[in-house]
Amino acid sequence: MNLINRYVTEVGKRLPLLKGREDIEKELRSTLEDMLEDRAQKAGRPADEALEIELLKEYGAPQTVAATYNPQPYLIGPRLFPFFLMVLKIVIPIVVTVLLVLAGIRAATETPFMGADFVNIVGAGLGEAFSAAIAAFGNIALVFAILERVLPDEQIDDLKMEEDWNPASLAAEPDPDSVKRGELIAEIVFTFVGLAILNLYPNILGMGFFMEDEWIFIPMFSAAFFAFIPWINATFLAEILLDIYLLRSALWTPLTRVAKIIIEAAGIALAVIILRTPNIIGFTGKSFANSSISADAAQTLTTVFTIMFPVILIIVIIVQGIEIAKAVYRLFKAKYQTR
Amino acid sequence: MTNTESLENVVLELRRGVIVLAALSQLGSEQYGYSLLKQLAELGMEVDQGTLYPLLRRLEAQGLLVSVWKLEEARPRRYYVISAEGKKLLPKLKKEWAGIVSVMDKMLA
Repeated sequence: MNLINRYVTEVGKRLPLLKGREDIEKELRSTLEDMLEDRAQKAGRPADEALEIELLKEYGAPQTVAATYNPQPYLIGPRLFPFFLMVLKIVIPIVVTVLLVLAGIRAATETPFMGADFVNIVGAGLGEAFSAAIAAFGNIALVFAILERVLPDEQIDDLKMEEDWNPASLAAEPDPDSVKRGELIAEIVFTFVGLAILNLYPNILGMGFFMEDEWIFIPMFSAAFFAFIPWINATFLAEILLDIYLLRSALWTPLTRVAKIIIEAAGIALAVIILRTPNIIGFTGKSFANSSISADAAQTLTTVFTIMFPVILIIVIIVQGIEIAKAVYRLFKAKYQTR
Repeated sequence: MTNTESLENVVLELRRGVIVLAALSQLGSEQYGYSLLKQLAELGMEVDQGTLYPLLRRLEAQGLLVSVWKLEEARPRRYYVISAEGKKLLPKLKKEWAGIVSVMDKMLA
């Protein structure tokens, strides 16, 4: 019986402590003893080690036997898994976005948009965002793994939403290739307004005030920025033309998706170049020297504009990056589905 | 996966669904795991011990069986018997089984 005891102990080591380990061990021992006795009777000799070995070999490896008592060895079981995914989809994008925006602000405020420091901060920001995403994933998985083990089955079942589900609430299945007209129209309008301001009314981009009955205007951007106007015009016009074409055709095609990717990539490239060009903002604290604005207030205004502009550009870059990712995803998905 | 393996897997799946009914039907009187295993085998249903013992525990957790430890022949044995709830369920399961057999007989005729 010595081998049986050792075998039962080995199985027991692999059984969940809280799910009747001792009871299972006791029952297993009793069964093995019954089986051994049966075999000894059939063999016409007393139970010996050879019979024990034969029996245990037939019964199976301890880990295999233990696994039969734990048929669902999930870290997170199928009932909690949808909630786990839902939480991941909410938390990870928020964590990554917040860290990337913070890195963008740091890069914009702590460096002159050029050189090694800028690259270092942006690189460190990406690294932090990646680490935070992994850490968030690990922590969420840990919490759900604990919930899987401590929540009673009834409570997990209570989380199910199937009973409240109504088929009538199903939205019409969106065609991934159909264009969203509202989005396109809004994009055309805003891009057109942007074009008009930059080309026809650049004088409204800045700060104006009366000084001794005289209107003083300080432009927000320097000549360095206006050197980019032809390029900005080109990307904006391309965007408008593509949007108009899409409105007419009502459907995305691989060609229009590639065009979208190129335009958005050009937009990102332009935004990065502008971001890294020094002295884009046209005024400094000294620009207000002749105004009634105090030196401190002037400095604060300058700082706010100096920070705001790169932040806006970084947001533009992120949005365009998302647009590219969506277009690439749709492009490859369509390609895969047509195979 | 070879054809033999596929066949074995399908047969295993088929039998797995039936074992619950087989075990409940044989536990009208108290039996310990090994005696039930032997009885099922004698009736023509070979069940792997790695399947039967966890199944008995699961059925007990579901309230369909009750168990009690008894000391016999200097050895403790856990005896299982169908519970009141199990007794209510068994006729329904039998009816379901009869329905399945009837449908499958028609399909396979």
